Amino acid sequence: MGGFFSSVFSRLFGEKERRILILGLDGAGKTTILYRLQVGEVVSTIPTIGFNVETVTFKNLKFQVWDLGGQTSIRPYWRCYYSNTDAIIYVVDSSDKERMGISKSELLSMLEEEELKDAVLLVMANKQDLPGALSPAKVSEALGLQALRNRTWSIFKTSATKGEGLNEAMEWLVEAVTSK
Amino acid sequence: MFTLLSGLWQRWQQRYEYYALIIGLDAAGKTTLLEKIKEIYIAKYPQGGKKVIPTVGLNVAKILLHSIRLVFWDLGGQLDLHELWHNYYREAHGIIYVIDSTDRERLQESKDVFDHVLMTRELEGVPILILCNKQEHPNAMTVQDIKQTLNQSAHKLGLRDCKVQGVSAVSGENVRESVEWLASRMQRNPARPPKLA
Repeated sequence: MGGFFSSVFSRLFGEKERRILILGLDGAGKTTILYRLQVGEVVSTIPTIGFNVETVTFKNLKFQVWDLGGQTSIRPYWRCYYSNTDAIIYVVDSSDKERMGISKSELLSMLEEEELKDAVLLVMANKQDLPGALSPAKVSEALGLQALRNRTWSIFKTSATKGEGLNEAMEWLVEAVTSK
Repeated sequence: MFTLLSGLWQRWQQRYEYYALIIGLDAAGKTTLLEKIKEIYIAKYPQGGKKVIPTVGLNVAKILLHSIRLVFWDLGGQLDLHELWHNYYREAHGIIYVIDSTDRERLQESKDVFDHVLMTRELEGVPILILCNKQEHPNAMTVQDIKQTLNQSAHKLGLRDCKVQGVSAVSGENVRESVEWLASRMQRNPARPPKLA
């Protein structure tokens, strides 16, 4: 019902905001990416407990971006935010080889959720500036992305602190969200 | 009551599902083709003017055609992404192999990749549709030209349906005919029955 009213509302009052979740393990760089996208700068961040939410405009498209804390104890609460999500940005610390397996299982269990079945998936292989960072191909292999069948997805190498790769990734996201 | 209705609804929505894999060298026009297919078959889908960027990952499209559902998987064509393709071979009911008709220099490379696809055991008997794309371009090679190169691989086709077709993913010329051809051949192939989903 709420969805019906919000769609009528958006017809009447112009383009609706797209809803995007930024998810990933703790320390992957989610909050840094969020503020890079919003203000174009690196802000100093502390581990997120709960969430940060900001409106980001990119290519005339308004995004309501939710950055959810990634620590083990708060990951179970991600699901409270799943409904009406247009896209998921999944951030991975490419230099953290030890936790790739955990990152994979968190991603897979999230993608099984019914509420997210129509959301497109953008994976950011972040922290490419660090030595020993895995390539996007290696990250996609480690996350098992090639097993996905019913979802449009893409992976980009990024460095949130240097601001590299974010524009390309967001460009893809804009196209993917508008052509859903 | 709700459960009954939603159960009926789900049953009613059920279709035989066929998977078609779209592959080929990078910049052949695979994603543009996928966008055109969506424009043709999905009602209210925004027409034209979309910017296509190189695919690193997977683009998915689902369409209803007659009584079946077709799922297209468009995979990235850059060389280091080719190794991802084989993950999809086992489930694919059909292959769309896209060639850039304007790229004379890479036609041989495209043929080599095509040979590799033909020789893949998981794809034995799977119908292949070869699309000579970008036919709207004045400098494009004709379908006849491209066929001459591809004919060298004819003996590797085995017992499968195969068709070479000139298309323009930009203007949409022959796209509908191509999709219909592949759909009919996939339905006719007893070796790979569809899934009910």
